[in-house]
Amino acid sequence: MKSRKGMMLTGNATAAWGARVCDVDYIAAYPITPQSEIVELLSKWVTSGEMKAKFVEYESEHSMLAGAGAASLAGARAFTATSSQGLAYAFENLFAVSGWRAPMVMVNVSRGIGMPMTLQVDNTDVFSARDTGWIQLHAETCQEILDFIILAYRLGEDRRVLLPVIVNMDGFFLSFTREPVYIPSMEEVSEFLPPYEPPHGIAFSSEELAYAPTIILGHSYSYFKYQMHLSALKAKEVFYEIAREFGDLFGRYYGPIEKYMMDDADYAIVSMNSFTSIIKGAVHRLREEGYKVGVLKINMFRPFPNEEVAEALKGVKGVAVFDLNLSPGAGGIIYPELLRALYHVDERPKVVLDFVGGLGGKELTYGEIRFMVRKVAEALRDGGVSPYATLLFTEEDTRKMIADMEIAGKKWGGFR
Amino acid sequence: MYRFRFHGRGGQGIKTASRIFGTAAFLEGFYAQDFPMYGPERRGAPVAAYVRVSREPIVNRGYITHPDVVLVGDETLLFDPVADPLRGFSGGVLFVNTMTSPQIDISGELVTLDVTGLALEYIGRTSAISAGVGAIACKIAGFSKGTTMEAVERELEELGLSEELIDKNLRLAEESYRNVPSFDLDSLPSVRESDYIDTNVVHVKLDEGYVGVATIAKLGNTAVRRTGSWRILKPVVDLNKCTGCKICFAYCPDVSIYLGEDDKAYIDYDHCKGCLICSSVCPFKAITMVREVKTL
Repeated sequence: MKSRKGMMLTGNATAAWGARVCDVDYIAAYPITPQSEIVELLSKWVTSGEMKAKFVEYESEHSMLAGAGAASLAGARAFTATSSQGLAYAFENLFAVSGWRAPMVMVNVSRGIGMPMTLQVDNTDVFSARDTGWIQLHAETCQEILDFIILAYRLGEDRRVLLPVIVNMDGFFLSFTREPVYIPSMEEVSEFLPPYEPPHGIAFSSEELAYAPTIILGHSYSYFKYQMHLSALKAKEVFYEIAREFGDLFGRYYGPIEKYMMDDADYAIVSMNSFTSIIKGAVHRLREEGYKVGVLKINMFRPFPNEEVAEALKGVKGVAVFDLNLSPGAGGIIYPELLRALYHVDERPKVVLDFVGGLGGKELTYGEIRFMVRKVAEALRDGGVSPYATLLFTEEDTRKMIADMEIAGKKWGGFR
Repeated sequence: MYRFRFHGRGGQGIKTASRIFGTAAFLEGFYAQDFPMYGPERRGAPVAAYVRVSREPIVNRGYITHPDVVLVGDETLLFDPVADPLRGFSGGVLFVNTMTSPQIDISGELVTLDVTGLALEYIGRTSAISAGVGAIACKIAGFSKGTTMEAVERELEELGLSEELIDKNLRLAEESYRNVPSFDLDSLPSVRESDYIDTNVVHVKLDEGYVGVATIAKLGNTAVRRTGSWRILKPVVDLNKCTGCKICFAYCPDVSIYLGEDDKAYIDYDHCKGCLICSSVCPFKAITMVREVKTL
């Protein structure tokens, strides 16, 4: 296959290409908007013979994930993709697959979990999987989706890690957005990603052995569970190793975080996933207005890059965390993760505020981005830092929401 | 950066039109990014698509609030409050697919063409205007004809269209391309406008639980939603041929056929979406479809 350079691809098509150039053996599928295009494309390629893999459509995401994990244990490089309700339906098997130490890759196309029902993005779906033992990589661009899938297989299959990996992209804002993507050939990828060598010893049916889950007592449970934790922590170090190698081969270098205009920044906006592009663009205008702002993007959510985050925010006076997710009763989900990284550091920013925005794919306007920075500047000046998240919601949003309420027959008199 | 926004109705090929334009921009050597936006997919419902084109890498994504060029595939959407195609439009180019010559008070350039008529002529279908609208966007941007045709061909091939149908679409694209002017986008006043708009954040307060919940506490309101504007073709019943057999009445998915005192079929034009089912099931060929004349 010739090296494909610069194609206009959606995030979904890019994810399918990622599975293809990684030469996956087994694809477990179940459709859900906005993910379906991924498995549709893979199904097309497997049918046409362009891709040599086993494609199995399951009756639910729950079985799909069990099947993909089992295939991985049996020695296949396994791939699957889901979103939102599908991820929720598969949830208990997230623990099973990571507990099996099956290094498969799953793409999650982030979408809010109903109710209220939406097809649009809310990262609460993927963050709800943060405690399941899966490594999590989050993409801002279509190119990152491809690169993170390749990195994910190499990372997960490393014997020091042996954990499954979720690669996340935002529904619509990446899944259906086309932008130029560089697709390496399978030969190029194979230089970086050697064939999967199944480590579990159950791949060969000629060998006599029993493999079964077992109910164990606390001492062994504690040991196994903590081993997963240590492996997940180790994944950061391994990521540095392989990302350097990846960069030398493909010319694109990644770390667990990315710093954007942070060198002289007084303020930082911490963000993840596709909306980071919107915030990066706004930073240029904020600087014209006199706010020295930078962006700290978190690529790797599990393991959480504590040291990198603390280092990046050294010397920064105030931080706004943009959380495109919501844990009702707590606030944004990135916010407490960030505070854990900062608490024990002497040179930590004085003010860290939490903002929840973009929920359900709601437009993130410049006014809202500037609002975050202004609030941080005010808190630095006046004190009074609140641990509670502020919702980014505009006058125009209010008007539209009232119109919807009227259609639904709700009597709503405005915020009192 | 140039920002193009496409508006149309589900089934018109507005997403494909935006992809044709995005691909053409890419082939012309620009950085490009295209992004369609729709809810649950329904034929006739408003759809929008956004394309950014730039000589520099694009650091932004999602909605476009200050478009330089707006292309409207269905003129009845122009003043639709949900679709709101003129939102943020000022000092750019507005293209409207229309068979009349509408007087629209806008600040900017107005371009019109009856793409639906051309689609009927070249393809024999009114709904497939993607090649036409895509080519018009390319012409407005000043892209070459060669790039435009290559982009049309690539995108339609990807959709799996037959060679014959692609040829017909290429003719539609060529004719559309020929009939609209080019603009020097850099000279448009809108290009200097930032896409970053000022908004005021409001403080959202607690409402009682039965209010702040996504439920509908009202009877169906389909009757007040005039979906008749979605129609591109209009069913006309020939009462001389209609026998009152009620087959169309039973098949109409939108309950938009009612029986008159003479027991014959009458169309509720306020709600008929023009799906053609009645016309295809009528055993007496009493229902013909004629092109809808839309007025603003």
